[in-house]
Amino acid sequence: MHIAEGFLPAGHAVGWTVAAAPFVVHGARAVVREVRENPESTLLLGAAGAFTFVLSAIKLPSVTGSSSHPTGTGPGAILFRPPVMALLGTVVLLFQALLLAHGGLTTLGANAVAFAVVGPWAGYGAYRLSRAAGGGLLPGVFAGVAVADLATYVTTSLQLALAFPDATGGLAGALVKFLGVFALTQVPLAIGEGLLGVLLFRVLTVNARPELERLGLLRPAATEQPTEEAR
Amino acid sequence: MTGLAVDDAAWASAWRTRSPLDKLLLCGGLVGCALALPVWPGGVLVALAAVVLALGPARVPARTFGRAVRWPLAFVAVGALTAVVTVDGGGLGWAPGAGVRAGELVGHSVAGGAAVLLLATTTPMTDLLDALRRLRVPAAVVDVAGVTYRMLFVLLQSLRTIREAQTARMGHSTWRLSYRSSGMLAAAVLTRSWDRARRLQEGLAGRGMEAGLQVLPEARPSSPGFLAATAAGLAALVAAGVLGA
Repeated sequence: MHIAEGFLPAGHAVGWTVAAAPFVVHGARAVVREVRENPESTLLLGAAGAFTFVLSAIKLPSVTGSSSHPTGTGPGAILFRPPVMALLGTVVLLFQALLLAHGGLTTLGANAVAFAVVGPWAGYGAYRLSRAAGGGLLPGVFAGVAVADLATYVTTSLQLALAFPDATGGLAGALVKFLGVFALTQVPLAIGEGLLGVLLFRVLTVNARPELERLGLLRPAATEQPTEEAR
Repeated sequence: MTGLAVDDAAWASAWRTRSPLDKLLLCGGLVGCALALPVWPGGVLVALAAVVLALGPARVPARTFGRAVRWPLAFVAVGALTAVVTVDGGGLGWAPGAGVRAGELVGHSVAGGAAVLLLATTTPMTDLLDALRRLRVPAAVVDVAGVTYRMLFVLLQSLRTIREAQTARMGHSTWRLSYRSSGMLAAAVLTRSWDRARRLQEGLAGRGMEAGLQVLPEARPSSPGFLAATAAGLAALVAAGVLGA
């Protein structure tokens, strides 16, 4: 769910762009530093961006009988960390605006705050909390991916409510309206995307364990059994 | 054919050889007008200008243009309707001036969307990335975006092929199977992207890659005539939008 081009008033579009800028610049600096130290990272980061774009193209069955598309930032935040996702998410949003006509250029800042900043940070926070509380990898992944999706949707609803407060209910009334309308698709989608994340990581723990160990998501197999880690 | 209709249209557009910075100036100006001018008559004129330029001189297929705006219009319709409905103790009702407000929201969105689509259907992403490089965006960021762009078509093709194979094996016949297949699909796409990145890196290292993935850009000089027409057209739009409001 991206805010379409021209939907936000000019002041809000500029304000959200200014709000997104420090996070995107921080992500860009992290990427520049990483590429300077390890030039081969360019290709891995590019692959991560392409994966995020493609993940958002996977159709999941939805309660309405049609299908919905995941945001794709939750798994990315767990795998590559939120600062990198701030930049990669913004690049993906730019590509979605120009290749799929989803979102827009004046709303890129607002969408980046929801999709590339708040979603990944909230999702990563939920993942870390779950792991710190003793949860295994897969419960942590479910919490992280579902929270990333929900946080994106709540943030977008808040942005719309701030731009279009209700005539009688004000900001709170507008927030309830937007949360209620988009909850029909977004809440089932968040649960569905959480399940997709669990299935994704379950396959990865078997087929791509070395990569997960290199990314610090799993401890080396010599000290821990995969089945225990994945439980 | 890349599989993304907007990207295909950009590569085939009659404006493909024009300077990307010229097109950025034109479309950026139209986007600004769509956002700042009143919907009547400014927004309507911006939308008309973008559609006429795309379907006329730029020769973008009308079908591509029409299909691309379907999903954004769905969001705009739901969002505008929600914005003009008010909630009070007695239930739902229309906010004061609901019709005008909804019309303004739809008008700004359609005009802005058409202007962005004019840029998207006439300028391939590689040209835009090169323009970003010239606008001094860090080379490492442009390189990452370039790899993302080049790799996503391969991954989208993998996605379609694997999904087709899963469907042929009844992998999407029930909800449970569909979720299981989608998880395996996402994992396959991720491991393929890592594998491709690793093989690309090994190939480039073998060729002595030391700094960046820069390639020789095609020279696309700016057209003074195009720039003059852009300035005149935008000035006319602003004048008509302000005076006609």
